[in-house]
Amino acid sequence: MATLLRSQCAFLRLFSGKSGQILNNAIDSGTKLIPGSQSVVRQYSNYAHSPFVRRIKEQYDFEVAKNPEEWKYVERLLPYETIPKVTPKESYPSGWVPPKEEAVNHPYFIQRSKNHELPIYLNITYRGIRKISMIKRIEGDIWLMNDEIKAYLKKKNNRYIETRVHEAAKFIETKGDYVHDLREWALSKGF
Amino acid sequence: MSSRQITEKSLSMLRSLPRISLANLRDNPGSKKLARRGRAQHGGDKHGSGNKGSGQRQNYMRLGYETGNNPFYLRSLIDKDRVDITKPIDIASIVKSGQYNFHPEQKEYGINLTDEGADLFAAKINIEVQWASEQVIAAIEKNGGVITTAYYDPHSLFLLKNPKKFFESGQAIPRRMVPPPDAIEYYSSAEFRGYLADPEKVSEERLKLAQKYGYELPELEKDSSYNMFCERKDPRQIFYGLEPGWVINLTDGSILKPKDDELLQYYAS
Repeated sequence: MATLLRSQCAFLRLFSGKSGQILNNAIDSGTKLIPGSQSVVRQYSNYAHSPFVRRIKEQYDFEVAKNPEEWKYVERLLPYETIPKVTPKESYPSGWVPPKEEAVNHPYFIQRSKNHELPIYLNITYRGIRKISMIKRIEGDIWLMNDEIKAYLKKKNNRYIETRVHEAAKFIETKGDYVHDLREWALSKGF
Repeated sequence: MSSRQITEKSLSMLRSLPRISLANLRDNPGSKKLARRGRAQHGGDKHGSGNKGSGQRQNYMRLGYETGNNPFYLRSLIDKDRVDITKPIDIASIVKSGQYNFHPEQKEYGINLTDEGADLFAAKINIEVQWASEQVIAAIEKNGGVITTAYYDPHSLFLLKNPKKFFESGQAIPRRMVPPPDAIEYYSSAEFRGYLADPEKVSEERLKLAQKYGYELPELEKDSSYNMFCERKDPRQIFYGLEPGWVINLTDGSILKPKDDELLQYYAS
C-alpha cells in the first residue's frame, strides 16, 4: 500500500498543476487525494526520501438506485440459465427444420441434440480413408430402424451398404459418407 | 445346482431386471488400463506420432476446418431463438448465445460479418458489428434493419465477453476507448456505417446503397419498433443502457451511480 501511495505521490508531483484531478483509471481505486495535502511542492533529493501521502478522502459521493429502471439492461446481459426453446415460425431461412409431432408415432425415435440439431455425424479416421456416418440418440426399436435405413440407402445408392448397430449405446453406424441421405431420411420421418 | 438351472435362473433374473443400457453397464473392475503418456528417457519420445515424415509434419485437416476458427451463422442463431431480435444485437448478445467462440485474449477485435448467405437473410435486426462489407450492409438494410460498425478496445471486449463476471467483480464500468488512428477513418465513414459518422450522412448513404443495389429502402419511421431501431450506444459506452462509472450490484439488484463532480466530469463523453 505504501508503495502504491508513493507512486501516486510521485505521479501527482509530475502533474502538480492538476493534483486534484484524476488522470486515468489506474489511480481510480476508490480513494481521492485532497489538493490540500499537495499544496507545498517540494523537490526531494530522491524518491525514497519523499514522504507518504496522508489525509486521504475515503470515498466518492454516490447514490444507490434500488430496483432501477435500467435493470432490464443488466438482465439482458446475463447468460441464459437453460437453452431457450424454439418458437414456431413461418419460415426458417437458415435451412433448419423443426421436428414434427408425427415423429412419435414410429416404433423408433431420434432425439434432437441440445442445440436442436439432428444427431447425425460423419467420423473421418485414418486420414480421410475411413468414413463412417453415425446416427446417435436412437430410442425404441433400433433393429427395425436399421432395416429401414439399409433399404433406403440401397434404393438411393443402388448398392448394398454395411451398417453396425450398437443397441446399448443407442447408435447406428453406416460405412461410408451417407450423412446427407440419412438426414434426408430422418427429416422425412419428422425427427 | 446344475448348469441348466443356473441358465434358467439367470434368464428369469434378466426378465425381471431393468433393460440393459449404458446407464447400468460398466466394465469389470480392473479390466481397463488407462493409456499413459510415457515420461522417462525414451518413454516420452514420440507421443504416438511415429517417426519423422507425414506423421509428425503433415497435418491433413478435414474440408472446411479453419484451424479452430468456427464460423457462426447469424441466420441459424435467429431461427433457433438464440439471439433476441426484438432487442439490439451486439457482441454481448452473440456471445451469450453460446454458439460463438470469442477470444479477445488472442487479439480478436470483434465480429466480422461476412456476406455468405446474404441473399437468404430475411430478419429485421438492429445489429452492431466490428467489420462489415458493402454487401452485408445492403443485405441487412434491404430487410429493413440497421447496422453499425463500432470499435471496442480489448479491455471492453473482455467485459462484453462475460458481463456477469465483470459485474460480480464490483468494479465501475469503464469508458470505451477511442479507436486507434488507423481505424478512425473506417469508424467515422458513413458508407461503412461507422459509429462516429454523422447520422445525416449515414441516412444519405443508406439511400445511395439502396439505389446501387436496386431495392426499396423500407421506412423505419413507420415501423412499430422504431425506438428499438434507434437504440445506439454512446461512443464511450460499452453496454446498452448502462453508463460508464456505474457499479452493478447483482446480489442486491441495485446500481451505484456516482454523484461526485470529478467522477461525472471524468466519465462524461
